[in-house]
Amino acid sequence: MTRYATPKLGAYVVLTALGLLAALVFSRPELALIAAPFGVLLAFGLSHSRPPDVRVHLELDRERVLEGDAITLEVELDARDTVSRLELLVDVPRGLELVSGRNPVALRLELGEDRLIELRFLCARWGAYRFGEVHLRARDAAGLFAWEETIDRAETLRVYPRPEKLQALVAPRETQLFTGNRVSRQKGEGLEFADLRPFATGDRIRRINWRASARRGELWVNEFHAERNSDVIIFLDSFADVRRGDAGTLDEAIRAATSLSERYLLEKDRVGLINFGGVLNWLRPGTELLQRYRIVEALLNTEITLSYAWKEIDFLPRGTLPAKALVLALTPLLDERAVSALLDLRARGFDLVVIEVSPLPFVEPEPGESGELAFRLWKLVREGRRAEYERAGAPVVEWREGIPLTAILQGVSASRRHARARAHA
Amino acid sequence: MAGVAVYGAVTADRLAWLVLALGIGAVLLLVYGLAAPNLPAIVAALAGSAASWSLSAWTRGSGAPGGTILVATATFVAAELSYWSLEQISVPDEPELLARRAAGLALRAVGALALVSFALAALGLNAGGGVLIEAVGAAAVVGLVALVYLLAQAGHEQPGR
Repeated sequence: MTRYATPKLGAYVVLTALGLLAALVFSRPELALIAAPFGVLLAFGLSHSRPPDVRVHLELDRERVLEGDAITLEVELDARDTVSRLELLVDVPRGLELVSGRNPVALRLELGEDRLIELRFLCARWGAYRFGEVHLRARDAAGLFAWEETIDRAETLRVYPRPEKLQALVAPRETQLFTGNRVSRQKGEGLEFADLRPFATGDRIRRINWRASARRGELWVNEFHAERNSDVIIFLDSFADVRRGDAGTLDEAIRAATSLSERYLLEKDRVGLINFGGVLNWLRPGTELLQRYRIVEALLNTEITLSYAWKEIDFLPRGTLPAKALVLALTPLLDERAVSALLDLRARGFDLVVIEVSPLPFVEPEPGESGELAFRLWKLVREGRRAEYERAGAPVVEWREGIPLTAILQGVSASRRHARARAHA
Repeated sequence: MAGVAVYGAVTADRLAWLVLALGIGAVLLLVYGLAAPNLPAIVAALAGSAASWSLSAWTRGSGAPGGTILVATATFVAAELSYWSLEQISVPDEPELLARRAAGLALRAVGALALVSFALAALGLNAGGGVLIEAVGAAAVVGLVALVYLLAQAGHEQPGR
């Protein structure tokens, strides 16, 4: 523990010295009398000053929680000596809010006392937090000396984004080879009726359509659409984040990415992640619960890293973007590098859907005519970018804070259906 | 401290306005020191209050009037309360600690009262002093300051836990 003299010590020394000296200089005994209690307290404090002996034990009830959950931190203090005043401060990272208990707290500990302090925190924002750094400051009985110590028992608390319950998903245009829940255009084993064809050697008897066979006078069998999985790549643009207070486009995008990855994985699809920003991260497509955890862990580590380096989609290793994959891009359409990379993906024939995490709720035009004009021009540039995607055949949907993602996805599905119908017509 | 200022002004034989002005100035300085918060201002306020009472005593010509006991205790309690309130700015005390500290402060106030009463009685018995006693007093002051300086310097020690 680091010991230091408190301002009170200096003040009392000055008062005592001033009183005694002035008493001598002016021959006024009352000044010496007024200084006497200060001098006695100094003598007592200096002779009885001892470093405190307190053991601290921290325990966090959970290490992995969902956004909006509450956690309890237990701080156990074991005093090996009397501590007249102990101030305790638990370092609380941004994103956690104290809901019950007092932090910081000042208390007195008697010799041999065990004290349990419970602090309850609300996990208001997703993230990986180092939590559990405790600052202690003890004072002696006279308040002349203080001891400080920082105890680092920090553990990593992972707050996962709370996924939105999605009612509908954007169906990929192409399916892959593995069994899944998606009705493939190819024929094979499945439940969805596709067509009829004449019986051929090797066909199963239970696939014979007896009604059609009776009408045609020969054996006909039912054909079904195969049920396959698909590859979905979530493309997260982390070049820029527009924030206001505790909310921002990156937060929204990460919540959406969590919801989408969880829902697609439930559908037995393979889900991958590309975190396209100042630092490039990726996860090859995978399935099952393990992949869900991998994705969420990767998303927790997402942060905006300032970089001026130009990045292209070629930087990604082979296998990160499998052929026929549906690419769901979550982007605020702010950085030219991400915009260009997505157009590049579309040009390579990927099934691309751009979900524009709108920065508009988080920005306000500068006051004045020129500010308004600049804001309108900026919005026009954004319109131009959207039009560019539309021309390339990739739908762009604007998603604003407060609108359910399900509604956006349903809109995308509907527009894709209409586009397909128009193409067939 | 306002009480000290008024009491000093009322009991002064002359220069009552100066005593009162000095006392009120000290009170205002204390208020500023607590609100700012500013430690030198608090020290100056306490010193100013003591000076106000000393001036009042000087106008009466007596060695150390009986009211000095109350004034010394009040000044000491004011100083303790001031530093206590400064501690509350960073971390407020728990209610149980608050009660204990209040009791401790009351005990110190009684101790200060007893100490000053005893010292006043002793001073009354042997008023005047002399060159030798004054020299011892000056040496004690210098020694005290040196001792505190050395202790404060030795401060940043880090014993193993």
